[in-house]
Amino acid sequence: MFKPAGFPWLFLNEARVLWRGSILVRTHKYVLAPVIIVGLMFQGIALALAAQIVRHPLPLGQMVLVADLNLFFFFWLMLSRAMTAAIDVLYGRGDVDFLLASPIPPGRVLAVRMLGVAGSVAAPWVLLGGVLANALAVFGQAWALAIYPMLLAEAVVVAALAFALVVLLVGWTGPKLARRAGHMLALVMGVFIFALGQAPRFLPPAALGHFWLALLPAGDAPGLQYVFAKGLLGQPWPLAFSLVFSGTVFLFAWVMLDARFASGTITAAAYRPGGSAARQGGAFRAGPFAAVLMKNLRLLTRFPGVVTQTVYRSLTLVPVVMILTGRLRTGSGVEIVAPLLVFLTGQLALFFISVMVGSDESPELAASAPVAPGFLRRAALVAAGYATLVLMALPVTGVLARDGVLLPSLLLGMAGVLVSNLALGLRLPIPLVRADFGKAQTGTVLGLILGVGVSSVWSLAVWLLVTPRALWWLLPG
Amino acid sequence: MSEALCVRGLSKSFGRPVIAGLDLSIAPGEFYALLGPNGAGKTTTLRMIAGLMRPDAGSVSVFGRDVLANPLGAKAIMAWLPDEPLLYDRLSPMEYLEFVAGLWRVEPALAKSRAEELLETLGLWAHRFERCEGFSRGMKQKTVLAGALIHEPRFLLLDEPFTGLDAASARLVKEILQARAQAGAAVILTTHILDVAERLATRIGIISGGRLLAEGDLAALQRQAGVAHGSLEDVFLQLTAA
Repeated sequence: MFKPAGFPWLFLNEARVLWRGSILVRTHKYVLAPVIIVGLMFQGIALALAAQIVRHPLPLGQMVLVADLNLFFFFWLMLSRAMTAAIDVLYGRGDVDFLLASPIPPGRVLAVRMLGVAGSVAAPWVLLGGVLANALAVFGQAWALAIYPMLLAEAVVVAALAFALVVLLVGWTGPKLARRAGHMLALVMGVFIFALGQAPRFLPPAALGHFWLALLPAGDAPGLQYVFAKGLLGQPWPLAFSLVFSGTVFLFAWVMLDARFASGTITAAAYRPGGSAARQGGAFRAGPFAAVLMKNLRLLTRFPGVVTQTVYRSLTLVPVVMILTGRLRTGSGVEIVAPLLVFLTGQLALFFISVMVGSDESPELAASAPVAPGFLRRAALVAAGYATLVLMALPVTGVLARDGVLLPSLLLGMAGVLVSNLALGLRLPIPLVRADFGKAQTGTVLGLILGVGVSSVWSLAVWLLVTPRALWWLLPG
Repeated sequence: MSEALCVRGLSKSFGRPVIAGLDLSIAPGEFYALLGPNGAGKTTTLRMIAGLMRPDAGSVSVFGRDVLANPLGAKAIMAWLPDEPLLYDRLSPMEYLEFVAGLWRVEPALAKSRAEELLETLGLWAHRFERCEGFSRGMKQKTVLAGALIHEPRFLLLDEPFTGLDAASARLVKEILQARAQAGAAVILTTHILDVAERLATRIGIISGGRLLAEGDLAALQRQAGVAHGSLEDVFLQLTAA
């Protein structure tokens, strides 16, 4: 279709690799069907929403504020994703040296990678925002279609910035910490966005009013700082300015990185030996079980995403707590904490056992050893269970200090969800962000969905156990 | 004393026959090189001997221990070195050796001293606490070799053990393996480097299409191939061309 080794040909190849590496395609072959159904449902909801927006138009100042906020949050969420994607395409995929050795100009390879990352980080937001833009266009608001070029332009800026940041961070700390920084950014922003949405439940209306008023632009939003928001609202000159700005930033970053990329300096920065002598000088463990357990715990603690994924699973409870404490009157304080801890136990157990299953790079080594076939599975279960319980020990102690009566129910629920999700994860490990650089991804979305379901069931059971009157809240009428 | 390896009528099929009625015998202290063209069935043979794959027919015993009936007993005295290093990238060589020694139930203090000795001998001492993820292919190969030797196996199965090794390391590994053989261990290796086989092996077997075509020392192979005074390469090409 395109001339081999040309820019479009290279970009098509990059898009194909990114698509095949996307979590949708990687995890289950039939996952696209439910995604399309959900997409159609979203389009239906967007039509209803657009009808309301058209019926109750906002003043320009408020529209600019809404557009600005959207661009702000898109920026940070895209940036975190772009950072991990940039690490993948520069250091993880392992084909940079191969391409640099080919007669294709290195600058072209870099530009294609940057644009590929821009496209991949823009895609979910374009699809999500696009359904509303399409719906508004149906109701005669064609300006809304500006979301397509604006989000792509924003993604191009984000990709340029992400590549520059990643090169800087990898050179400074190595690829693992750079990846962790990207993940942490996403976590903090996710919780911040949710907390902002929940602010009306916790802040006095007057204080909140002052906050929004301070952000609201005066009149028809004069000033350069609103140019991108106006571009998103489809105003022609701001839109054109935004596109030119995006292209300039991209070109600037590309020019800055090109020479270092071509010389291999960027990729070489990732090669640094890990490990230190400080914690490795002790005696060897006695017996196969202790040795395997120790190996499992080492691999678990050194798994690239272990810190961010653990923090993520803990932080997801913040929104849940906010919803529950804001709405429910059937339980409060420590009674709410018990089911949440059970849920967290289940999620951590599922994650840890999935890491165990996914990060065993040399299963045949153990298969060639004089140990029984089920031995390794038991060691993996014990390691994952042990890690979960160590992490949960502190909050459980907190519950014990606050209200010891809850402890039996809590421990019962934790034991139940631990056993259930460990067994589940052994069969259906969840997809991991990446097992490791250059390693294939393992796991299935089905395991993730079932795991959340099992955690929820145990959590609900414990909630009903510690707060029996919650049953009346759950029953209709 | 029983044979180190006794394989009788070994067969395996993956849709088509890969190994067809293979018989092999290796004595203790013998260094046996199994040669063959790509796809001849060398790796499949070693995997079945190591107890990693069940044959469709036939028997395998190592120092009198039946691999099929008593796999754990047989594995306890064997070491298997595959063509791709079986390593954990996020473990250091020291941690890797602790893990392997534990799997083979080597007494911890003894395992540690052996680990230190092997790492020093193989030139990995300076890297003993570094994670293997940054190692070259040769360093990984040497780490895995140390793992294969830490429990002092009586029977070593080595699939392309010299891949990625520099000249000095390759010589060192050859010396280590010869020393093990002289101490009574049996070694079977596959290699495509015929010079290595010619110099190291006490006996050479050539397989193709899952069948043993010829076996013996170089003189015996020359006779079987009808190539008087030819090199091992001449013999190999003559036998496998048919």
